[in-house]
Parts: sequence; structure tokens; C-alpha cells
Amino acid sequence: MKKIISTVAIALLMLCASVLPASAQSRSALRLNEVMVVNDNSLVDEYGRRSAWIELFNANFAPLEISSVYLTDDKANPRKYPVPLGDVNTKIPKRQHVVFFADGEPNRGTFHTSFELKPGQDNWIGIYDADGKTLIDEVVIPASLLPDQSYARTEDGAGEWKVRTGGDNDYITPSSANVIKDTNYKIENFAELDGNGFGMTIMAMCIVFSALLLLCLCFYGIGKIGGAISKMNKIRAHSTPAGAPDRAEVKHDSGEEIAAIVMALHEHLNAHDSENTVLTINKVKRAYSPWSSKIYGLREVPQHTPARK
Amino acid sequence: MSFGDFLYNNLAQFWSLTGFANAQFGNFVMLAVGLFFIWLAIKKNFEPMLLVPIGFGILIGNIPFNASAGLEIGIYEEGSVLNILYNGVAAGWYPPLIFLGIGAMTDFSALIANPKLMLIGAAAQFGIFGAYMVALAIGFSPDQAGAIAIIGGADGPTAIFLSSKLAPNLMGAIAVSAYSYMALVPVIQPPLMRLFTTKKERLIKMKPARAVSQNEKIIFPIVGMLLTCFVVPSGIPLLGMLFFGNLLRECGVTSRLAKTASNALTDIVTILLGMTVGASTQASQFLTPQTIFIFFLGFMAFVIASSSGVLFVKLFNLILPKDKKINPLIGNAGVSAVPMSARISNNLGLEYDPSNYLLMHAMGPNVAGVIGSAVAAGVLLGFLA
Repeated sequence: MKKIISTVAIALLMLCASVLPASAQSRSALRLNEVMVVNDNSLVDEYGRRSAWIELFNANFAPLEISSVYLTDDKANPRKYPVPLGDVNTKIPKRQHVVFFADGEPNRGTFHTSFELKPGQDNWIGIYDADGKTLIDEVVIPASLLPDQSYARTEDGAGEWKVRTGGDNDYITPSSANVIKDTNYKIENFAELDGNGFGMTIMAMCIVFSALLLLCLCFYGIGKIGGAISKMNKIRAHSTPAGAPDRAEVKHDSGEEIAAIVMALHEHLNAHDSENTVLTINKVKRAYSPWSSKIYGLREVPQHTPARK
Repeated sequence: MSFGDFLYNNLAQFWSLTGFANAQFGNFVMLAVGLFFIWLAIKKNFEPMLLVPIGFGILIGNIPFNASAGLEIGIYEEGSVLNILYNGVAAGWYPPLIFLGIGAMTDFSALIANPKLMLIGAAAQFGIFGAYMVALAIGFSPDQAGAIAIIGGADGPTAIFLSSKLAPNLMGAIAVSAYSYMALVPVIQPPLMRLFTTKKERLIKMKPARAVSQNEKIIFPIVGMLLTCFVVPSGIPLLGMLFFGNLLRECGVTSRLAKTASNALTDIVTILLGMTVGASTQASQFLTPQTIFIFFLGFMAFVIASSSGVLFVKLFNLILPKDKKINPLIGNAGVSAVPMSARISNNLGLEYDPSNYLLMHAMGPNVAGVIGSAVAAGVLLGFLA
């Protein structure tokens, strides 16, 4: 039995070990977020030039290191542009963006890819993980995209792709959020639709009650099952040899009864015998504090321990 | 420059850095508040473990200094020692550590033996949402109202955790208010308990709770964590640590860990939490009209929470069989001021019947209140963060 348990434990550990590194890296949360193919009046690179750009977004709520992932425009060549190692800027902060210029000039720096996007035709762009096989994200930029228009997700890291023209409600947002939020919509909604807090109270109290009711029902069930099991164990422990009649009734040891008996004996005899164990009932007096005072246990059920011979 | 001028200039510059040169009226008010807290703790024995660190923290945080000198000494100056210690409050990682200790200290037997008492712990959370409605009516925004209302949970760490997420600028006032009212529970609750109960109800004797097996005690934190966190994942930091601490205590094979969590770790975090919360109440941040409203709302929250617990028991008794009635005096214990409110139930019960010990029964709703307030905090965080 022990062998089986240890084998299962080792198998589980190995399973965890094989799964954890992949999820711990969380590169699967890297997203293509916005792309511009013909850049006449948009973002300028550090050399003062304009070229096509690709914005990536870290959808994690933790920083993400993207060095050694691959950017490519060729399905047949997934390792076309490896993001270089050793650049501190390749660590994208949580829920933030980074822009690569697709200018075919990788010698200009980390954020200049070895390929260019081609105007007037569909451009497929993909991100591959460091193994060069696992596709993390991909998008096809339509050929119909006009100069200075971008193709972007409706929300950062999620939602559909749509053409953005740069109009008032159609911002082009390289290296910043695709949706510009100036307020917390959740709070705005509560302020607007639940100004007196009645809705919040009903919802929240329902949830609090449901959670504790669930726990309550669960422990009614567990208590019943536990009671039945302990009753069975007691019957088994107290059962007489085969052929002899079983005891009719098995009762729990009651702490109160035991305490009452011990106190009555103490009162009656007014002395202890030579036993080592003495029941002492003293008032515990300590300075109150919510932290320290919980050390008082609720109940100590005296246990029968067979006397050693 | 003569030597005399040199000495004068340096001494004048030094004077400009001293507390005397930078003192304002607000600083002295807060210093008086800090001294009052320390006096309450030492002379009156009111929550000394909390009020001494908080009171001394108030003194530390309100020593006037020249903030523009860039000495990196203030609690709100990035990189200062106090700021580094304050990070546990601002980023909200002290409260879950305190919850770990609470879990390792708490015996949930009374609750496991009589699970229906959990509902009293749920009902008392109405104090939070009642105060939320009042806070909205006064003019606070929903996130601020949620952060203030959590005072009604009567749980300092939960209040600090939630306010650090929803309204960091109000956290000092909320924390001081929460701990002040927790110290005043023996003053606030008894009149309400008497008001809402009849003499006959106060004499109800409850059956002794059944014995709880070790297995049940081990299953409780595991199932409790899974169920509550599946319903309210935003409560994971608090509920996860609470139940984890309780598993350390009950499993029987990690007594060293349970001992550390319930003693050394809790003591260390309590010192840091109390001191930095106190230090965060700088006069410029604390002495505002909002603070008065927060103290008023905190009082409202405690009153509503205590009353709703008692009234819920009365309501519950209508559907319970005659031999299973609950004494409404344990309803106040639904707030999570453990174990003070349970002791109040017991003391009041003994006042009317010297043989009616309610402590064991009151501990059920009391620890359910800890779970309930953490769930309520998770709900508010989920809705408003």
C-alpha cells in the first residue's frame, strides 16, 4: 500500500514539474495587440524614421520577459526574428505594451525586426515561444489597411481585431492602451445605478449567506457521516467475541459527565490519591487581546488513556 | 564669511530641520491622540497589544520634520525605513499573515458541532452593508463607502486589507476607527442586546454541543477554504491564510508551524502592522472632516452588525423546534471581534441566569463572523476593485 502511495505521489510531483515551468513563464499571455503597416505620420523610432510597427501586450498581472521569443511574418520560418537576450527593456511590466518596428533593420536595436511588412497584401504575423514551435499568437493584417491606419484589438490583449482610422473615437495607440479609461467603470456603474446601495446589499448578503449556508450544509453532512463512522468503530471496538450478545447501546464520552464525576470524587474524598494526573480548575486571568486570547481552547474533552502497567 | 557667521548659518539650518521649527497645531493634536491610546492601553488595559503599537506609531508618524529636506524619514517617502515597513500595509500583505495566525489560534469546534450558527455570522455582516448604504447617503463614492463599511466586520486586518485596495487614502482613519470600536465592543453591544431581547429569551438554555472528532477538525479548513474561495475568489488572500493556519493547528503533524504562526509570526506582524498603521495617521492626512464621518460610520456599522445578529436569531427561532431554540444573546457574537463579543454574550447570559454559560455557543457565530467578514471583504473587492 505504501509503495502505491509513494508511486502516486512521485507521479503527481513529476506531472507538476512538467506543467509548472510552462505556466510559470506565462508567455502564453503575450499578445499581438496593434499593427500599422504603412506609417506616414505615426510613431517615429529612435533614429527619427517612420516604419511599420507591431505592438505586443503583456496580458499577465506580472512582468513578462520576452527575450528569446520569436517574431515572424513567415509560417515556414517561425524563428525569423528572435528577440535578443540581455536587454532590460524586453521585460514588459504587467498589463503594459512594447512596440517593435518592422523595418528589416535588426542591427538598429532590440526593437527592430529582421523583416518588413508589405503594403497592399495580407500580412501574417506570428509570435512563437522560445522553442520555435509553440505558436503563442497570430494575426492576419488585411491588405485593405490604408496608410496611417492601424489594425488593433478592441481591448488590450482580448477582443476582436478592427481597423482604426485615427478619428476621435478611433484612436491609434502605439505603446499605450487600446481603450483609454479615465474612470473605473465598475464604480461608475454602482454610483449611477445603485446610488443608495440597496442592490449591493442584496447581492452581497446573498453571496455571504450562500457561502456560509453551503459550508453549514456541508458540515451537517460531514457531521452525520463522521458520527456514523465513529459509532461503527465504537461498536467494533466494544464488540464481544463471536456468539456473545453485543452491547445494546454505545454512547459518546461526555466531557461534562467526566468532569462532574471527577469533581464529585474530589469533593467526596477531599484528597487526591497518588496519581500523577490531577484535574485542576483554575480561573485563567490574562490581559485581553484579540490576538493572544484565542489561545484559550473552546473545549478540552478529557480522553481515557489506559493505565500503564 | 567669519567663523561666527559659519556657526550661525549651520545652527540656523539645523533649527529649520527640527520638529520645533516645523510643528503645526495638527501635529500636537495627533500626538495627544497617540498619548491617549497609550494611556488607554497601559492604565485601562484596553487592547494593549494593539493600542500600544498604534499609539506609539501615531507619535512616530506625527513628529514634525522638514519634508522638503529629502531626508527619507517619513512614512510616505519612498525608500525610507518606515515606508519599507509600511509596504506590508499598503500592499496588503500583513493582514493575510495575521489571518494565518488567527487560523492557527482558533478552535472551530463550536461551529463544526453546530453548523447552523454559521448563519448568525452571515447575518451580522449586514452591519457592513448597512453602513455602506449610510456612507453612500453621506456622499462617499462606492469604493470609499465599501472601504469604510468593512469596519462593521469588526475585524482590523480585514479592514486594513480592503481599505488598502479600495481607498488607500482613508486607510489610517479606517484602521484606527476599526480598532477603537473593537475596544469599545463591551460598551456598545450590551445595551443593544438588552433592547432587542425579552427576559424570557435571555433565559433560553441551549443544549451542550456534541463532541467533534479530529477528522472533522481536519476536514473543516480544507472544505471551508475550497467552498468559500470558489464562491468568492477575491477572498483568497484572507480566507486561504485563515484556513491554512487552522489546518496547521488541527492536522496534528505541524505543531511547530502552528506554534510559530500563532505566536512569533503573529506577534511580529502585529507589532509592524500596529506601528505602521499608527504612523500612517499623519495630521495632514488624518485630521480631515472625512475622519469624523468615518468614525460615525464605524459606530453605525457596529450598531447595525450587533443588532442584526441578535434580530436574526430571534427570526431563526421562529422556525426552530422548541428544544433547539438559540439564545438571542449570542447573536451579537456574529461580528468577528473574537472572542470579546462571545464573552459579552456569556456575561450577559450569566447576569440573567447564573447557570447559563453561553460562551461555547457564542464562539460558533463568533468564528463564523471571521469567515463571514472575510467573504464580505472579498465580495466588496470583487465588485468595486
